[in-house]
Amino acid sequence: MARIELSGIRKEWGGVVAVEHLDLVIEDGEFVAVLGPSGCGKSTTLFMLAGIYAPSDGTMRFDGSVVNEVESRDRNVGIVFQSYALYPHMSVRENIAFPLRFKKVPDAEARRRVEAIAGLVQVGDLLDRRPGEMSGGQQQRVALARALVKEPQLLLLDEPLSNLDATLRLTMRTEIKRLQRQLGVTTILVTHDQVEATTMADRIVCMSKGRIEQAAAPAELYAHPASLFVAGFVGAPPINVLSGRVEGGGVVVNGLRLEPAGEGVGAAGEVVLGIRPEHLRFDSHGLAGRVDQVEPMGRETLYLVETAMGGVRVLEGGAGVRFAVGDTVRIGFRPEDSLLFDRESGALVPGARVALPAG
Amino acid sequence: MAGPAPPPAPAAAPLPAGGGGGGRVRGQFDWDRLAARSRRRRALGRAALVGFLVLASIPILLPYFWVLTISFSAKTGGVESVVLWRACGVLIPAVIAFALGRMLLPRRRQQWLLAGFVAGVAVIAVAVAVGPYLHFENYRFFWVADIVRDLPGRGQATHYAQFPSVWVAFRNSLLLAVTQTALVVAVATLAGYYVSRFAFAGRASFLQALLVLHAFPAMTLIIPIFLLMHWIGMLDTITGVILVICTLELPFAIFIMKGFFDAVPWDIEMSAMTDGASRRQAFLKVVLPQVKVGMLAIGVFAFIRGWEEYVFVRTLLFEKANWMMSLYLWWVADDIMGVDYGIVAAVAVFYVVPSLLLYLFCQRFLVQMSLGGIKG
Repeated sequence: MARIELSGIRKEWGGVVAVEHLDLVIEDGEFVAVLGPSGCGKSTTLFMLAGIYAPSDGTMRFDGSVVNEVESRDRNVGIVFQSYALYPHMSVRENIAFPLRFKKVPDAEARRRVEAIAGLVQVGDLLDRRPGEMSGGQQQRVALARALVKEPQLLLLDEPLSNLDATLRLTMRTEIKRLQRQLGVTTILVTHDQVEATTMADRIVCMSKGRIEQAAAPAELYAHPASLFVAGFVGAPPINVLSGRVEGGGVVVNGLRLEPAGEGVGAAGEVVLGIRPEHLRFDSHGLAGRVDQVEPMGRETLYLVETAMGGVRVLEGGAGVRFAVGDTVRIGFRPEDSLLFDRESGALVPGARVALPAG
Repeated sequence: MAGPAPPPAPAAAPLPAGGGGGGRVRGQFDWDRLAARSRRRRALGRAALVGFLVLASIPILLPYFWVLTISFSAKTGGVESVVLWRACGVLIPAVIAFALGRMLLPRRRQQWLLAGFVAGVAVIAVAVAVGPYLHFENYRFFWVADIVRDLPGRGQATHYAQFPSVWVAFRNSLLLAVTQTALVVAVATLAGYYVSRFAFAGRASFLQALLVLHAFPAMTLIIPIFLLMHWIGMLDTITGVILVICTLELPFAIFIMKGFFDAVPWDIEMSAMTDGASRRQAFLKVVLPQVKVGMLAIGVFAFIRGWEEYVFVRTLLFEKANWMMSLYLWWVADDIMGVDYGIVAAVAVFYVVPSLLLYLFCQRFLVQMSLGGIKG
């Protein structure tokens, strides 16, 4: 188990910057998810931690010692690839035992450890099969067992669930989290799926274009996104985004003037107003609108409503389908649920709140 | 028509179904008719395919069979086809009987019994029909060191006119084929890996050059190669020929191996390295096993290329201690007065056997050239 410190990490390939600048500390035993769209540098970061890529700049510390120059095979890092990367010519037993061969673990002990870990990930009865003869979920478990059998100080998961079907994904999510708890291994999960990140990790590092946008606990990330990017990436259905500008202490969106609330709206010029669909509700005193589309999702219903501010998504739970397309409705929100971002930089304007005009 | 909702059938059901109608009977289908038609078509198709394959293989198989019969039956000077036809007269009915048995007899046991019976009858019939013609005289090169010595007028022939033992030629050919196979497989595997994995300046042009080199007719190089060999003192050495053939064989082999390495995902290698393997161990233990089939394929090609090589062998080697099987065959055909077809055929049969064995041994692996097991 290890405490990981990254400071000023940068990676570029002949002028193409993959990771711009990364400062991050991961505590011993923590489960961190690195979340971001494809091409944001999250996999590059993972491979740098694994020792497959060498950082162009910055230092990487495991438990305080710099490991920049330490070779991959000496880092004692377990990694599960998106493709699982099982060795097709070896049986499951040989696959799992492969890391132990290089550690000069005696045969009897290797056998015991392989069987123990295989039991833990529930592939104990598949030990003599080949990877080609197993389902995706089973291959995934074997890959996990192979990564864990060497008792790594760091476990890296590269989009481990993206090749599984929806049901299996749910099961594996729970199982990986359980294993991580049980073994207490420091774990980094790389994913572009915000649900995966928020459900599994203790802390989420949201990355964009080679930089960290925000690193926080899932709830914190959801409630207080540091930037428009984070707000847009976390939460489903995505947050409503409305462009406007600050005028006379209020915010004008599409010609509708919203009053300042809380600490006011600050002095920024062009802004973006963000309100999550689940924070909008039907309110007889609210803003008038017309239902444009209805998407029943079972427990909840998503309405697209055209209002004077523009089109917004409204998510209502537990009430069935109350409105039909073409109905006139009124919607409102609590000022503390409104988020204002600077349009230029995308950064949150801290404390800025707006409210619908009275009446 | 006892279903809950019988389809309306206003007209009498069985209409004369002919012309363009096929099996269709006004809004309904005559399933039995359609099934029968499908069965008939499939049977016809299969029969046509089998017929075509039989016809196409006759001109390929017959000459080989003829060579075989000549090698065991021809007497010095003459060549006859009577043994061929007699053998065919026995074997063709036997093959047909065997095939019919496989098709018509339902039980595996009966099929085996019939096969055994047919084989027994065929052996006896062949023995009766062609037995008196058979002899091993044409294979005397196995035990007679110089086959031309006993020919009239050649007893006092010069040193250069005498033949070496066939085993010398066999050994040389084997040496050439095996050595160059080993070289080609080793070099092409390493080079293919490098070309597949590493980005280096001029990689694209290197790959194009490989293809152009392969398409380039090697015969046009024969004079420069001869001069080159002369200048570096490798003329009339087997090592020289090995190097030349290796060089000509490598571009294609590298290209094939590159394709095989391309199919091995990076992930597997990275995984091996985080699992504690060094780059070399990852290559040997994880990557190489995935390309075994490719190595086998280029190995077989290289061996056959080396075994059958004639032009460069003929050009670059003179001393009879350096004869290859191809040269031996050529001289047997050329150097014996009035061409003894019997001995030519016998040498040819001997020459073919190693290639045939190699092919029989490897075809199982070459035909199933699939890897599998990497998919998610």
